[in-house]
Amino acid sequence: MLTPLPAHEWDPAKAAHLLNRAGFGGTPAEIEALHQAGFDTAVHRLLDAPDDSAAFPKPDWAAPQDLMEDQRMLRNLPEPERREKMQKEQMSKMQQIYGLVGWWLARMWGSPNQLREKLTLFWHGHFTTSLLKVREPFGLWQQNETLRQNALGNFGAMTKAIARDPAMISYLDTQQNHKNHPNENFARELMELFTLGIGNYTEEDIQQAARTFTCYKINPRTMSFQLADFERDDGEKKFFGRIGNFTADDVIDMILEKPACAKYIARKVWTFFAYEDPAPALVEQLAGTFRDHRYEIRPLMEEILRSAEFYSAASIRSQIKSPIQWYVQTARELDMDLPPARTAMNTLRSLGQMPFLPPNVKGWDGGKTWINASTLLMRYNLAALAVSGDPRMGRMAENGDPQMAEHGRPKPLDLAKIAPPALRADPKALVQALGFRLFQKETLTAKEAEVFLKYLDDQHGDTSDQTIRGLLNLMMSTPEFQLT
Amino acid sequence: MKHSHSVPEPHTNTLHTRRQFMRTSMLGAAVSWTLPVFLEKTFMTLDAMAADSAVQTPTGKDGSILVVLQLAGGNDGLNTVVPHADDAYYNARPVIGVKPGQILIIDDLIGLHPQLAGLKGLYDDGHLGIIQGVGYPNPDRSHFRSTDIWQSASDAERYETHGWIGRYFDSCCRGADPTVGVAIGSEMPMAFAGENPTGIAFARPEQLHWSAGGGGRSAEALFRELNKPDEVHAGATVGAVGAALPHGGSTLDFLQRVALDAQVSSEKISAIAGKFQAGAEYPRTPLGQGLGLVSRLIAGGLPTRVYYVSQGGYDTHTNQVGTHDRLLGELGDSLAAFAKDLKAQGNFERVVLLTFSEFGRRVAQNGSNGTDHGAAAPLFILGGKVKAGTYGRYPSLTELDRGDLVFNVDFRSVYATVLEQWLQAPGEKVLGRRFPLLPIV
Repeated sequence: MLTPLPAHEWDPAKAAHLLNRAGFGGTPAEIEALHQAGFDTAVHRLLDAPDDSAAFPKPDWAAPQDLMEDQRMLRNLPEPERREKMQKEQMSKMQQIYGLVGWWLARMWGSPNQLREKLTLFWHGHFTTSLLKVREPFGLWQQNETLRQNALGNFGAMTKAIARDPAMISYLDTQQNHKNHPNENFARELMELFTLGIGNYTEEDIQQAARTFTCYKINPRTMSFQLADFERDDGEKKFFGRIGNFTADDVIDMILEKPACAKYIARKVWTFFAYEDPAPALVEQLAGTFRDHRYEIRPLMEEILRSAEFYSAASIRSQIKSPIQWYVQTARELDMDLPPARTAMNTLRSLGQMPFLPPNVKGWDGGKTWINASTLLMRYNLAALAVSGDPRMGRMAENGDPQMAEHGRPKPLDLAKIAPPALRADPKALVQALGFRLFQKETLTAKEAEVFLKYLDDQHGDTSDQTIRGLLNLMMSTPEFQLT
Repeated sequence: MKHSHSVPEPHTNTLHTRRQFMRTSMLGAAVSWTLPVFLEKTFMTLDAMAADSAVQTPTGKDGSILVVLQLAGGNDGLNTVVPHADDAYYNARPVIGVKPGQILIIDDLIGLHPQLAGLKGLYDDGHLGIIQGVGYPNPDRSHFRSTDIWQSASDAERYETHGWIGRYFDSCCRGADPTVGVAIGSEMPMAFAGENPTGIAFARPEQLHWSAGGGGRSAEALFRELNKPDEVHAGATVGAVGAALPHGGSTLDFLQRVALDAQVSSEKISAIAGKFQAGAEYPRTPLGQGLGLVSRLIAGGLPTRVYYVSQGGYDTHTNQVGTHDRLLGELGDSLAAFAKDLKAQGNFERVVLLTFSEFGRRVAQNGSNGTDHGAAAPLFILGGKVKAGTYGRYPSLTELDRGDLVFNVDFRSVYATVLEQWLQAPGEKVLGRRFPLLPIV
């Protein structure tokens, strides 16, 4: 079913598709470079990109806090100081959240390791955790790094690491899962959402699995994982019909042995990267690859990204951009910096996808659920803002946005680069060039070409920046621009 | 003729009948032709708008309205409607049980949580029904699966892609304005999914406006051109709209359809939201503000049959009491304000509000002073025409199914009642089979 794409079928539209799906898109020049590199090299560049950690160092604030010491100190402060200290703490948490979101978006936007960031986003939607419950930006940052480290690694190792992840321990109540009073929350979602999918386990399996996680706790002094021996349940457990003194890792290993697990993950990965509702045979084949490689993610991704099916008509431009994809890809296509984190947070909230704030433990449903009357109009209005050289950004710099202070004012849209004078002199070529930049289609539909040319025609020869902004705005305020 | 009975009207008047006649005759000539979906839709919209300029659209001022309120996360029914006379309740919940002196007594057996004073007032005024022990066979304890079951009205073993409200729109509201279903929130509820997807979702009315960028009038016209469905994609016969488009057509069709819906709805909703003020003091919470917005849209005569509102946060596994108090306080106060507002408008008799949650919670408290996922639970129904009282039986707290309450009212009986007796819709067709009705409205 899945066969490799013949190398001679490699063309600019397919190179753009690879960059859009395995990353966050790029400029026409970047797409052309990937096309020129040839199919094998292009896929290899995404799969085996160099580590980018040096370019994205740990933010200053991303350090564990001694929560017990903090509480002790707060208790000992007299009332007015205590309140003041707590308010300061609140403010600093808010700044950390901006820092966290800004740090990750900047990495999606600027990392040469695009596939790893895209997979980190995928895994964030899979092993979801929300700031609303966890409340510690450092915990989410730590989890994000764990997802990144394992993004192209081993799924079993990642699942075990996530079970020990402090933010997850907090999010799904493992901290409240006690030897004498088990809490089933994590055990249930582990099987229902993280590994097997519904229908592949019993309520009893959940109750028994929950007992193996009781000793997983957060150390409140270091915000790191600790094994709590006094919470360990050493009794016999019956899991998937087998009896033994299983540990949490044993339970995860037994889950991975089930063919349903490889199928569930393979299907979800394909859906995220290629298209929805893949044929059962396709899922079987991917799951087989996944199992044969003992749940290594890189071979799974390689099979997907090399397959002719990934580049088929069913796949190219069939996906609705997620809000994060829309946001980062727009900036990359237009060769402009991302707006500051606070603007990003407001934008992504109104579009329905805040990083680190998934709607629930199932993550984002994606696909058509991104779009309704209000989010679509919101995308149109935000597109206008993006091409306008948003004056609000200047005001934000004056108000002391931390990201602004650090990096200076973001580079606005450079219209001379996007539409140089020679191009502006030739309306057809201009429409074609901007069309490829925004839609990555080698030819626009007749209706699109006609409408865009009509717009230029209506400007009576005015090819100023204002006209170009209007044209970009019009192109982005379309159903077509929501697709990738 | 689909459209002649597309909007069942309990109160017919001559003007309305005349409009209906014009509408059907306008489309009548085209019935046997192939007509693109968007054209059919546009005709209906234009027609509705024309009607609107003379008098209110029929569904706006004289139709019955359903408001569905989802309590997301699994509301703890036992601490909402408290079986205060049952020792088993206090034995199972030594820490989190509601203290006897605080309960708002309904009768010898049950009472409401102390934060629900707003609902108690509605009960005393004769506008609140409490349906006890609502659930379904073989209950699922997963949030998502159980929410899907409630939204699709399917059996626990069946997976449906369409929702019960979407199927109601399909069978009764073909060709209606997209605002026939309005969900307050950023996501369209699965309950609205249908063969022929309709309805709009938005959190705030100001989100529903397109600013024409810098391009002025010319850009505005071109924008409209780009945002209407392609004829080649949308071809379908009038009688078979939807059937020709499984799963609502391709992704591009879907986007084009939403774009058109957004255009025709945005001006109308912005105008109403700007013109009408809330007539009661709502809590400054998403639920309070959401219900306030619904009330304004009703006042403005939006032709909506079903509104959908939700309140989240009910997944109280840990230290439940404080969280649950806050949520129920918000719920009770919001509903009381909503009822007061509608009464002041003179629309309370036209509205029924129904709550639901994907499941109740386990009878026994857990080790973290919270409760885990359970099964059957009570739900509330309120409105000017609702017959106040309790319906169904309170489930036994000792004869449990795996620690959970056993249902005695199938939730689809509640849906069937609302569909048939309130929306005048064919319940059996929408729900797939017949369910016993409750004497509520």
